[in-house]
Parts: sequence; C-alpha cells; structure tokens
Amino acid sequence: MIKVDASLCLGCLSCSNVCPSQNIIRTETAEKRSLHWKRCKEECDLCVEFCPAKALALVPFDEVVPEPDVSFDLVACKICGSRYATEPMLKRIESTLPANLQKDDTGLEWIRICPMCRRDVEAERAARQMVLGRSRKSP
Amino acid sequence: MPVYIDISRCIGCRSCEVACQRVHGGSGHINVHFVGDHLASVPIFCHHCEEANCTIACFTGALHKEGERTAFDVEKCTGCGLCRLACPFGVVWTNKIAHKCDLCEGRDAPTCVTTCPANALSTDFELASRRARARAAQAAVNGGRR
Repeated sequence: MIKVDASLCLGCLSCSNVCPSQNIIRTETAEKRSLHWKRCKEECDLCVEFCPAKALALVPFDEVVPEPDVSFDLVACKICGSRYATEPMLKRIESTLPANLQKDDTGLEWIRICPMCRRDVEAERAARQMVLGRSRKSP
Repeated sequence: MPVYIDISRCIGCRSCEVACQRVHGGSGHINVHFVGDHLASVPIFCHHCEEANCTIACFTGALHKEGERTAFDVEKCTGCGLCRLACPFGVVWTNKIAHKCDLCEGRDAPTCVTTCPANALSTDFELASRRARARAAQAAVNGGRR
C-alpha cells in the first residue's frame, strides 16, 4: 500500500490521474481539494513514479494503518478571487522558475493570479499599446 | 514557426476560436479577449516561448522544445497541472491531461492563421516585421503621428 508524506504532497492530482485501479480518490469543492488513498494491494508503483514531489512510497500491506488523507485550501486569485491552485503547487512554481521571470515589467506577481486573469492582463497590455497608436492617427 | 499577431487588424470575429476548437476536438487554445468595452479585441494564444516556463515546470518532459515549437507528448503527461500554473499568459490548460497550442501539427499551416478573415494572424516573421517597420516609418514621416 501507499505511504504519503503530507508535508511533501503538492495536491496536484498526478497520482490520482495515473492510478490504473482508481484507488486514489479526489474530491474538490470551490474552496478545498482533498485526496484519499484507498488501501491497495497492487504491486504497481505508477503513482510513486509519477509523483512530482516524491511524496509517495510503497510500503507492505498493513490493515491497521489508516488510509492516508490530505486536504488543501485552494488559493484565491489576487485579481478575481476565484480559487485556482493549492499553495504547495504555487510554492513549487516559485522555486523552479528563475526569479527574474516571476514578475512582469509592471511588477505584477503573475504566479498569484489565475490563468484567466493572466490572459486578461496580457490582452489589456497589448491593446493599450495598439489603442495608443490608433488614437495618434486621428488629429 | 510560431504565430504572429497584428492586433490592429483583429476585428474580433472569433473565427480563430471556432476553427481551433473544430480542429482540436472541442477544446480550443486561442481566446479572443475584448478590452475596454469592446474598444479592442486581442486573441491570446501560446507564444511558444524560447525559454518556456511550462517546459521548466514539467517534470516528466511531456512539454519540451522541438526547434521553435513548444511541443507536447501526451504519453508522458500525468495531468499534474504545474504547466498551467507556470504559464504567465494562461494559455496551457489541464483537464485530466494538459492541452495547449500545437501549431496544428500535421496541417500545412495553423488553422487560426488560414481562417482569420482579417489577416491579423500569420506565421511569417518577415511579414510581421515589415508591417511594424512600415508603421514606424509612417510615424516618422508624419512627425510622430502614425
């Protein structure tokens, strides 16, 4: 069965996606994401192999050990407030990307805003340049 | 061969969105955004960044660079969603597995480019650069006005 190191788990759902016997149950509400590892006797270690955080390990089957559970509060977008990711996932992005790429030229910390708002910000930035050019055209 | 956009030509018809969805089984990778009460329309799509954040975040190598293209290997994707959070432009999606612009692999040209009725999208860097130079030259001739 699977042992989970909750301090390492990102809450990314990789394991749940790759599990061939659907033994890793995900529940997601608007504000919370929970994962539950059912006791499994399979000898497959796909979830262990595909965990980006190396938070999982195969341990001998034991009926006494309770089934592992983790849950994460989802982080709210700084612009629209919609909840879009778990804190450990964002922390991981912040630790893997070079520091100079984590802010745009206006100083916006884009990692803390949701993908939808990122698209809006990009559209506004591009449109602002173009509209300025257009307004210069008319006397 | 990424796709270049001339925003001043975009008429906001969203044909590119429809064409992209049709080619990619309903999940499109280009979104037309309207700015300032429909003052302008801007299609937002993958830039195929030279140093792509999504490829840095991807731990299995599913997202990788293939020349100028940021390519995606569906077999390696675990659907972790790190790429979606690493993209500064919000143009990588995850729905069990990741999906993003593939420049219409297997077609002669990306369908958004061939569909755009206003010629706002192109794969021709020379054309994009020529248009920009022409605009700058016109501005110089008109004393700063374009």
